[in-house]
Amino acid sequence: MPAKRKASSNVRGSTKIGRDSAVSTPGPATPRSIGSSSDEYSDAEPSESEKENMKRNINSFSVENYKAKQRSHAVSGMDSASHHFGANDFSYLSLKPDHDNRPLWIDPHKGRIILESFSPLATHAQDFLTTIAEPLSRPIFLHEYALTPHSLYAAVSVGLDPKDIINVLDRLSKIPVPDNIRDFITSCTHSYGKVKLVLKDTKHYVESSDPEMLQRLLKDEVIGPLRVQGTEEITSASAPKMAGLVIPGTKNFAGVQQAQLEGAKPKEGENVQQEDIVATLNEDDDDDEDADAVHHFEIGDTAVETVQKRCLELGLPVLEEYDFRNDSHNANLDIDLKPSAQIRHYQEKSLSKMFGNGRAKSGIIVLPCGAGKTLVGITAACTVKKGVIILCTSSMSVIQWRQEFLKWSNINPSDIAIFTSDNKDKFARNTGIIVTSYSMVAQRGKRSYDSQKMMDFIQSREWGLMILDEVHVVPANMFRKVTSTIKTHSKLGLTATLLREDDKISDLNFLIGPKLYEANWMELAEQGHIARVQCAEVWCPMTTEFYSEYLRHSAKKKQLIWTMNPRKFQACQFLIDYHEKRGDKIIVFADNIYALKAYATKLNKAFIYGETGNAERMRILENFQHNDKINTLFLSKIGDTSLDLPEATCLIQISSHYGSRRQEAQRLGRILRAKRRNDEGFNAFFYSLVSKDTQEMYFSSKRQAFLVDQGYAFKVITHLQGIEDLPGLAFSTPSERRELLQNVLIANDADMDNDDKGDDMFHMMDGKSKAKAKKKANARRTAGALSELAGGQDMAYVEQNKSKNKELKRKKGEHNSFFKKLQRDQEKRRKALDED
Amino acid sequence: MPRAIRGVLVECDPSIKSIIVKIDSEEHAFIVEDLDDQTLVIKENMLAILKMRLDEALKETQQPPSDSGSD
Amino acid sequence: MSVSSLASFEYLEGLPGTTFRRLYLQPSTTLAIFRRMLPHLAKTFVMAMLYMTKPIPLTDLDLWVHPSSKRQPTEALSLLSRLHIVHITARTRDEPQVVSLTKAFGSSLRLALTGGGDHQSFGVPSNDSTTADVDLNFLDDYAQMQWEGILHFVVSSVGEGMRQNTQGPTPAVKQLLESGNLVTRARHSGGGITQAGFSFLLQEANAQVWTLLLLWIKNAKQMEMDSVDVLSFLFMLGSLELGRAYSTTTLTDSQKQMITYLVDFGLVYIPPSSKNQFFPTRLATTLTSDATALRSVAAGFDAAHTNAAAQKGFIIIETNYRLYAYTTSPLQIAVLSLFTKLTTRYPNMVSGRITRESIYRAISHGITSDQVISYLSTHAHPQLLKASAAHGGGPVLPPTVVDQIRLWQIENERMKATSGFLFKEFENQQEYDGCAKYADEVGVLVWKSDPKRMFFVSRVEQLKDYIKSRKMK
Repeated sequence: MPAKRKASSNVRGSTKIGRDSAVSTPGPATPRSIGSSSDEYSDAEPSESEKENMKRNINSFSVENYKAKQRSHAVSGMDSASHHFGANDFSYLSLKPDHDNRPLWIDPHKGRIILESFSPLATHAQDFLTTIAEPLSRPIFLHEYALTPHSLYAAVSVGLDPKDIINVLDRLSKIPVPDNIRDFITSCTHSYGKVKLVLKDTKHYVESSDPEMLQRLLKDEVIGPLRVQGTEEITSASAPKMAGLVIPGTKNFAGVQQAQLEGAKPKEGENVQQEDIVATLNEDDDDDEDADAVHHFEIGDTAVETVQKRCLELGLPVLEEYDFRNDSHNANLDIDLKPSAQIRHYQEKSLSKMFGNGRAKSGIIVLPCGAGKTLVGITAACTVKKGVIILCTSSMSVIQWRQEFLKWSNINPSDIAIFTSDNKDKFARNTGIIVTSYSMVAQRGKRSYDSQKMMDFIQSREWGLMILDEVHVVPANMFRKVTSTIKTHSKLGLTATLLREDDKISDLNFLIGPKLYEANWMELAEQGHIARVQCAEVWCPMTTEFYSEYLRHSAKKKQLIWTMNPRKFQACQFLIDYHEKRGDKIIVFADNIYALKAYATKLNKAFIYGETGNAERMRILENFQHNDKINTLFLSKIGDTSLDLPEATCLIQISSHYGSRRQEAQRLGRILRAKRRNDEGFNAFFYSLVSKDTQEMYFSSKRQAFLVDQGYAFKVITHLQGIEDLPGLAFSTPSERRELLQNVLIANDADMDNDDKGDDMFHMMDGKSKAKAKKKANARRTAGALSELAGGQDMAYVEQNKSKNKELKRKKGEHNSFFKKLQRDQEKRRKALDED
Repeated sequence: MPRAIRGVLVECDPSIKSIIVKIDSEEHAFIVEDLDDQTLVIKENMLAILKMRLDEALKETQQPPSDSGSD
Repeated sequence: MSVSSLASFEYLEGLPGTTFRRLYLQPSTTLAIFRRMLPHLAKTFVMAMLYMTKPIPLTDLDLWVHPSSKRQPTEALSLLSRLHIVHITARTRDEPQVVSLTKAFGSSLRLALTGGGDHQSFGVPSNDSTTADVDLNFLDDYAQMQWEGILHFVVSSVGEGMRQNTQGPTPAVKQLLESGNLVTRARHSGGGITQAGFSFLLQEANAQVWTLLLLWIKNAKQMEMDSVDVLSFLFMLGSLELGRAYSTTTLTDSQKQMITYLVDFGLVYIPPSSKNQFFPTRLATTLTSDATALRSVAAGFDAAHTNAAAQKGFIIIETNYRLYAYTTSPLQIAVLSLFTKLTTRYPNMVSGRITRESIYRAISHGITSDQVISYLSTHAHPQLLKASAAHGGGPVLPPTVVDQIRLWQIENERMKATSGFLFKEFENQQEYDGCAKYADEVGVLVWKSDPKRMFFVSRVEQLKDYIKSRKMK
């Protein structure tokens, strides 16, 4: 019986805790004591090899551990083709007779699902699959998804039951759902979502639909004592339903004025089979757990963190849900969407995942740039109607978020305030919205008086909703800082991609919440919500001299050499000329500052990088948008996130960050808003210029991997027609090229710097002034460079500050207990399977 | 009387030629005559080894691209 | 005329006149050639002359032709002439040209049409009772098994040893495939299929059969058979009736020898219980048929497959290089594995990826990027065709993938190497110019540089002689 197993691991768990220091090990729901001295932290840190072990275990907590039972017929099913596939030959599985009508295949080994997008059931299947699985690739005809612990975690959090998941899978699949997949789904979902932390009527409750589970928790030596004395052990209430909650701006809202109304209904007029499945899915969405009742016990406010940590250790990560409709303790915010705000279907879908059972679930919504993430955040705020704090990546985006709020909602301007280094306002009344940046909140060291006052204000209240923008660019430990210093009932993370080169995605899942929804790029492009982009890689041969130097120098110098390749310069010049003539607005990205300045100056174009002051930035941007003489803009890395540029229709990339897929996707996102033009079926153009036969080519293909899986095709252009005839073509003589090479070779260390310090969040976290910051930067660069050379580690996530490193180490230790437990369970189960 | 030297004529683009020159620079075991930006004469018995070394050098531009977490 | 027959026609046209005389001794041969190889106008000419006892003036044939078309009659007559079906007198000043059917052809064709004679050219049906088991389905299965065994051998002979259910083709067949350069034996280089072999695989069924048969005929001498005998026998087979038993006892000795090979190829079946009978399979009876009958070859195989999409496209290739093929056929899977990295197999589909490595592997076997692209196009899944039609006839395969496959091949060929000799240190400009020009004229000049007074040639013998002779002047 599962309960028994849990009990035994529980025992083991507590023993371990006993061994560790007196202070409870920090959990992912971060402790408030992050700023305290190092004494508090135990010496019993996991050793390096244990950490490696754990990492491997996390990775191995996958379908593969649930080995398909050995089939007894070794002979049948094997034929001459089998050797190509080894263990991945699943031809022995039986095809259902009407398999043509079913759109899925399931891979028993890896938990992969392949979907025929041209099947009549494809749309419904897609909805279902994005709810329970991770999309891996979604080109035109066949899409691939993967079942992972996290994706199943997310499914549970929107109310799906493992039995239902398996049933629907079975209905959609061409082959019967393999046993080991059933086991995998069941056991993954078994641990997740069984326990929820809810705030009701100003009181905190540990809630579950399974009273036995609660009993266990009460018996736990850490949690038990935290139950508020004087309250009944366990009380019951009926399960929350969506009924009565209507998300503003959605179709339902439009027709409804009164409270009582059914939740989302299946679409009408579908044929029988589709309706069948839809009905099941909607049942899943609307219903909470199997039972109608939920049970809870109360815990004190101060106990919340501890309980979260403890539950994680017990293998029961807690879902954070906010019953905002029944929160009488916190003041309501007067805010609604303006009637002019149109919510698109995918925005509605994502919000319905968040508010599916009438409460606000914490989690992450993934939408491509330009698809309207801001509006999703605003709508969520309008649904919750409590105090909201919004965290952005830069002061520019802070201003933009506020503007968007004023544009789409009817909020009183005095109810929304911004908190940046230049502004420290509060809102007028007793509740409102504060928009600030990660760096402002996570800043260490001494603050200015005003800043400190503001932080005190923020930390002293209960927020209803915390919106975290651009979650993919923020280092994990920055989240920890933020979520630990601000008390909020629910969190919504918004991002274009969950890709991270540092693979800390699992941290995010537990720091913010599971992924609630992920949109399909190609689908959105087809429907016209984001631009259709023609992507191309332009191969620029190196000149002989440049190439010889390239071969001779060190990695760092190599990068500068391939970026300053005169043929690349010419290609850039040609493309700018070509697209300007077509009336396009062009952005040229260059990570490398030396290159940025060199290119921009030679071509006489405006450029913005970290050191550019705010006023100048605004001036340049305004000109770019409105002045038809200024059509090309050069940007450094800050252009990746900080600036909102709705009108660019052409992007040229001349230097980028090694193999970062995230950066590539992000840059593409800058032009996804472009919808004005429609030439040859494309609205916008994305060029990546690479120097041929250099390492840049490898990085380029690595970067494109994510986009290629979204369905983008990168054309390779080996020669630009007509480039030789361009009047005024730069570096067309050997002497000019030689001179350029000389200059490049004498460039010093500072010039070769690929990074742009200006808006780097990491940097800001040290809280030092800019001057000092530069100094710090020196030390930082070396370490950063090494990891970059490894290819793929995004600089943003490299820790430089020593104490930060230490913290990071500790944080890794947090995962130990939960995943180790999981791994122990896995082993137990595997052993059991083997014995069968 | 003109001289006739046996060898293999290698024609390639300038980058490849640079790589070959670099490979040769250590022990001068390959190049018989350097003709121009895109042409060389190589010792016949060293051709296979040269091809191998060239492939190795180009590998860094061709390492298999990983993709977004799949496979 | 179907493309597949071209190879056989070229072969025939290359034969000497004496061979034709012998070939045309067999009525079945003349009928087969008449049916398969002649365009309508040529057929008309032949029929017109079939029963004429004397030659007719060439110009009489113009009666059959529209005055304005000059080309067709010229071409028809030229073909008939090359095949030694007609004889046209030479053009002289005095006499007009006359034309007549060659004796052998004429008499045999007449026999073919009207019957008679004891030539046994059309096979002798067997009077023995036949086993009921040998029905059409059985014959089709049998033929397919034999034939696919051969194809499979061609594909999977990549040095990994036997991996087939059946034993695969006989050593004699393997030998034939090797001598025809469809496979190589070289194990260290990954052995196996060659470029010619891959082209062979890409051909349609009937063409494949003829390719193999022609190989066989060309090697007939080594196998101590007479190529004419072989050809005649093949033409006879082409006239036999599917499902009917024929007698082996009436075959000539050389034909009896031939028939063992034909069994190996799957063209003929001899029941173990009654060795003096043989059954032609569909592969044989459609040897000399026209296009519509060819389709039935495929259809015949299709019937053996439950999956009627055997001839339809079944491959989906995506912009992200992933490949999905709706197939259960080990043979098709084996072909895909030549240039794809296969990963997973489901009951009705296999999935994999096209990668740089998988294309490099194909290239190392001599397969070209064009061949791969052609294979993917030919077997493109209906969904791909549908999408292309929806986009007004756009490309069926994703252009980026097609380009990249080609680029990968180019990547592999960064260096062009030609062995030969470098000439330098000429005494003066004239010497240099003269030699360079001469080298160019004899076609051995590979590269030169006038300013440097150097050039490179692929062969040196002629040039040496030239220089010597210059010296002597």
